[in-house]
Amino acid sequence: MKKFLLVLGFELKEYMRNKAFVITTLVIALLGGAVLFLPSLMDMSEYLPVPSKNGETKVEEETEEEVTLDYYICDENQLIPESLITEIFGEGTYQYVEEDKIKEAIETEEIKAGFVIRSLDEMDYYVLNKGMMDMESQMMESALVTAGQIDYCKKHNLEYEELSSVYNKEITVNEEILGKDTESNFWYCYAFEILVFMMIVLYGQMIATSVTTEKSNRSIEVLVTSTTPTSLLFGKVIAGAIASVMQVGIVLVCILGSYQLNREAWGGSLDMIFNIPAEVLVTFGFFGLGGFLFYAFLHGAMGALVSKTEDISKAISGLMLVIMVVYMLSLTQLSNVDGIIIKVLSFLPVSSYSAMFARIAMGSVSMVEVIISGVILIVSIIGAGWIGALIYRMGTLRYGNPIKITNLLKEMKNDK
Amino acid sequence: MKLEVRNVRKSFAGKEVLHGINFQVESGTALGLLGRNGAGKTTTMRIIMDVFKADSGEILLDGKPFEPSKQRIGYMPEERGLYPKRIVLEQMIYLARLRGMSKTEAEKSSKKWLQRLEVEEYANRKLETLSKGNQQKVQLAATLVSEPDIVILDEPFSGLDPVNSQILKDVVRELIEEGRLVIFSSHQMSYVEEFCEDIVVINHGNVVLNGSLKDIKKEYGKNRITVSFDDYTVEKSKAVIQEKFGDFVAITGEKKEEVILELQEGKTKSDVMEAMLKEHLSIATFGNYAPSLNEIFVMKAGDE
Repeated sequence: MKKFLLVLGFELKEYMRNKAFVITTLVIALLGGAVLFLPSLMDMSEYLPVPSKNGETKVEEETEEEVTLDYYICDENQLIPESLITEIFGEGTYQYVEEDKIKEAIETEEIKAGFVIRSLDEMDYYVLNKGMMDMESQMMESALVTAGQIDYCKKHNLEYEELSSVYNKEITVNEEILGKDTESNFWYCYAFEILVFMMIVLYGQMIATSVTTEKSNRSIEVLVTSTTPTSLLFGKVIAGAIASVMQVGIVLVCILGSYQLNREAWGGSLDMIFNIPAEVLVTFGFFGLGGFLFYAFLHGAMGALVSKTEDISKAISGLMLVIMVVYMLSLTQLSNVDGIIIKVLSFLPVSSYSAMFARIAMGSVSMVEVIISGVILIVSIIGAGWIGALIYRMGTLRYGNPIKITNLLKEMKNDK
Repeated sequence: MKLEVRNVRKSFAGKEVLHGINFQVESGTALGLLGRNGAGKTTTMRIIMDVFKADSGEILLDGKPFEPSKQRIGYMPEERGLYPKRIVLEQMIYLARLRGMSKTEAEKSSKKWLQRLEVEEYANRKLETLSKGNQQKVQLAATLVSEPDIVILDEPFSGLDPVNSQILKDVVRELIEEGRLVIFSSHQMSYVEEFCEDIVVINHGNVVLNGSLKDIKKEYGKNRITVSFDDYTVEKSKAVIQEKFGDFVAITGEKKEEVILELQEGKTKSDVMEAMLKEHLSIATFGNYAPSLNEIFVMKAGDE
């Protein structure tokens, strides 16, 4: 334990003395904090959804937009009342034409789109390139539906406005959430998932590099003959983890603190990301950091497989694949936090950091499940550290090409 | 304290590189581990230090299994390695503490060894800013910082200029005088001859010579003499000996102006001297042949 603490202190000091590390931390923290002070210092209501600085509610100025002719409509039987078309597409944006003019006008990009109304149940829609956000077809469809309803009312001697008000009745909803509000928790949950993913990827590589450096500068032989590989690997990895958490922590404290100080100026518009409940932070602290530590040990072990820092990315590629798959699965399952996939993921040490965290923040999970997942994670962290130390020891003095993990495992088995 | 290496064998990728290494060394003496490049010296040292596990055989200290982690050992590997970007004093203190010293002891000892090796002015500099020779001295200081009872040095003289070599020689001599157990490997035979009472020559993973340097030299000089004649070149001396004293001696080599001779069976040095005097030859030198370690080494390991 004493030697582990010695290694930890020595390695940690290296990070704290690293000017690039310190400067990056301070710059990001100060910039992040400063940006959140802006609405308090100047009127940002023109650019951001925040109240104006003098307390006046900004009235959107009606700007006169130039009306352009965008649509040709062929409605020979006048099935849709023109008032309805004007209401939906706007005055002056359309023109009634013969059917044969439509295609040519679109091909010469004279207009955006064209419609031929065949009946109340059928229409043709013409467009040159259909965009992702193309709404014109749906707009005309809704006009046809309304025209159909009006026609039906006429034929059956019914009052359209009266029926419409019954069908589209406004309801007052008094909402009281007794469990969790997935909608409001979603964004910071999403943000934390990305944060842990980034920590694992960025700092994992940093930890692997710190282990490989000892092989490349050949100090490893002196070290492994001076203390145990377990003390060395645990000391190095945990020092890297502490430094990473400190860096992220300082940035987070600055940003969250700044937001709390300026929350009123922001009108609470970023609450969905920055106003995080304490229990969510505690959960994130345990599962997020636990998962990070688990991967940190695995990165440390992978770093011991190579002797040149340029080979690190090759050594950690398998690990990166697992991280990416877990990340993709977790994000896609955020909208279904009580599904079977996320339930399974929440017990696996490779994915519980995000899956269990998401389930706690947004879904239904019992305390027993949380404890079981937590225990699995802790045991896995220790296991990863132990295996990492064995690999570190076996990888000592293996220079040249990266060592294949399968060969190393075989040798470890033979050595027993 | 007696360290014994018994029948140690080691293979890499199915090829045996050590075929049963045996030797022993005691406190207050230095053992020179000699051998050509790739002979197995470094592997033997690494097995002693538990960097590699032996396939078979054992390492004993005073008759009990040797556990490096439980002893104060100073090990300087062939691949020099400290932290190039860290302060010299800081990493020495770190290594001393890893080997069990308190912070105060470590600091005191670090300063002492830096001073002894004449690199104290670099204590607060980053290692990478030092010259190669000074880095080598810092490495030695880091090896000795924990005041080890057992010192294992792999090629300690490589990369040192004559002045720094002298400092290192003095330090090694002091270590022996202080009763520490020293094992070191070197290609420079003169250093081995200076310190070592015992030598082990390893060739292709086998111990080909092992024992007291004095006895080995005596054994290799046995029945051999060196002779030179006034005003004779070595070639002329050889021709005369061949022609006139073939019944007494056989020529085995030459050393500077002298011819090395081996006595024929049943002949003595006196017989040779008498025969030469009878021929009225003007003898310049006549004496016992004392082979240098270098010559013995070439004889035993220079097989290719």
